Amino acid sequence: MKEKIKVVSVLPNLLGTYGDSGNAVIVSKRLALRGFKVDLVHADLRSGVPSDADFYLIGGGEDGPQSRAAEFLAIDTPLERALDKGAGLLAVCAGFQILGRSFIGPDMAPRNGLGIFGCRTHRFEGPRSVGELVVDPGDAMPGVPMMTGYENHQGITELLDGTRPLGIVRAGNGNNFGPQVDGGVIGRAIGTYMHGPVFARNPKFCDYFLSLVLGHLDPIRDEGLENSHNRLYFERINQVLME
Amino acid sequence: MRKAEARVAIAGAQLVSSLVRSLGIGEGAALPGRILIRLYPEVISGLSKSLPAVLISGTNAKTTTTALTREALSGSFNVTSNITGANMDTGIAFSLVARKVTAVGKDLAVFEVDEAYLPDIGSKLETKIVALLNLSRDQLDRVSETRMTASKWSSFLKLNPHITVVANCDDPLVVFAAQSASEVLWVSAGLNFFLDAYSCPVCGGEIDFSDSGWRCRCGFSRPSPDIEVSRNTVSVFGRPIEMDLSLPGQCNVANSAIALGICQVLDVDLDSAARRMSTISEVAGRYKRVSIDGHEVRMLLSKNPAGWVEVFDMVGDDSSVVVAINAQLADGKDPSWLWDVPFEFLKGKEVFACGERAYDLSVRLHYAEVSHVVEKDSLAAIRACGTRDVSFVGNYTSFQELRNRLNGNDGSLVGLIRSLGNRVFG
Repeated sequence: MKEKIKVVSVLPNLLGTYGDSGNAVIVSKRLALRGFKVDLVHADLRSGVPSDADFYLIGGGEDGPQSRAAEFLAIDTPLERALDKGAGLLAVCAGFQILGRSFIGPDMAPRNGLGIFGCRTHRFEGPRSVGELVVDPGDAMPGVPMMTGYENHQGITELLDGTRPLGIVRAGNGNNFGPQVDGGVIGRAIGTYMHGPVFARNPKFCDYFLSLVLGHLDPIRDEGLENSHNRLYFERINQVLME
Repeated sequence: MRKAEARVAIAGAQLVSSLVRSLGIGEGAALPGRILIRLYPEVISGLSKSLPAVLISGTNAKTTTTALTREALSGSFNVTSNITGANMDTGIAFSLVARKVTAVGKDLAVFEVDEAYLPDIGSKLETKIVALLNLSRDQLDRVSETRMTASKWSSFLKLNPHITVVANCDDPLVVFAAQSASEVLWVSAGLNFFLDAYSCPVCGGEIDFSDSGWRCRCGFSRPSPDIEVSRNTVSVFGRPIEMDLSLPGQCNVANSAIALGICQVLDVDLDSAARRMSTISEVAGRYKRVSIDGHEVRMLLSKNPAGWVEVFDMVGDDSSVVVAINAQLADGKDPSWLWDVPFEFLKGKEVFACGERAYDLSVRLHYAEVSHVVEKDSLAAIRACGTRDVSFVGNYTSFQELRNRLNGNDGSLVGLIRSLGNRVFG
């Protein structure tokens, strides 16, 4: 039996509007299928967020709950402490925004984020970014091909020093700032605007994320599962790039 | 606008409606409604003079609750309603064309209204009662997030203190909106999907849910109900009414409780209202069993996570379940919500994943450890089922698509001509 892995779904009651809690389910199952013993924790405002886990998944949500989550996570900075200990973190949409240096609150005023990612999010005065999003990571993540997801946000996210983008946007808006890129990567923390959930649409991205912490991983031998993942992956990417 | 011009606009819309229906390409309300509003912009206020209106809104159960309410009230009123479920301004406008004016005090409108359109439509009609059912995530690419909708409802009710609200006190977002009304009848109609309700709409804190209700530390809490549901009994101010519905599922008893709340406000006899509601066995093609090549198929519509929780209750003992997921404009183009549905419930059943987004569903089912077969064609999946009793669950367009095919219109030109022929000659 391999070591026990702790996976945390971060405040899904506040940041779970767009189905992103699926990422924690997918991470847990893909670890379990490889023989790891997995402890999946749904961290809420009462339980608090542990700082001793291996993987953290944080999703998108509405403006009010987003600000509440940012305040709560700033209290004893469990995410920063976990990252210092080598944990992996995936943050999507509103979750990505609050982990930057600043984001926009429900009152339209800028608020302090946690500063994990070197980025600032402003409010876009044009139409909301809604639709399919295709992100090309190039060679940055070995084994990860072009990715697809669904974006739904009003932000423009400006990357600052130290944080590189997750990839180049081939369709959709992503960060919606300057040269078309999506998300942010710093150390083992990855941010993106892709819902879907992103790991359901892009299983190789999920496996890359796991390997950031665990090193080399064997392929999964559940053929039915991997076959459905592949069909979905190619169906989405073909459809979006054809449009 | 002169009367004659309005009449021309109405006649034109009616003509388009009968065309749409005879071609079998729709229910014939939305498109003619759009034409009508273009030609006669004040049509909604123009055609609803001296017509008190009951409006029913919320994310889920609008169509069914409206059907139950319409039936419950039809013994006492001459009801105008949007029977086809077209619930935006275009559908309401066209429904008003069919209004027949009768004796004074006998006319009543009962409309289901899209949650985003409620303030606009409610201001144009002579709105007397608004029923607020629930708010949860649905079509997030089109409809705004739930808290924005609740705030818009709240402002609308503040501006219209003459409206009596019948509201579900188990849903914090509904209570947040309904509190702005001057008169509220609280119905404990239940809440089966909590993910959108945890965050307090007043202070942003986390709401505590228990068996006896919910409360936030800021003081915002569940109002005590005037109407309660316990299995098949609805108590209205302590008076028990036995419901013997033909519609399946506990959620429909809760829907009938809202309808009884509306009857109570209008002073309609509750026993006869309950009797009338028991006769309804299908609503716009939903709930009924249809025979398809030796299978008895229960037709269910479910568009979002909250709706799915109710479907699990109705699927019951059917051992084959055919699920069809599309992602057209009317469905919401992002099926990420599939991950908020506890599909684990289907474990052990024979399951087919269908529709345009069958593979999104298939991946989800794999992670829920539900064994299944992918067959994009719903009808082929139903035919392949191993058991007689089958539940078909579709989201909006996949449900309509199967319904149209069962009615002989497969969407192709040949199917269209055939169904037109059937209508003209058959």
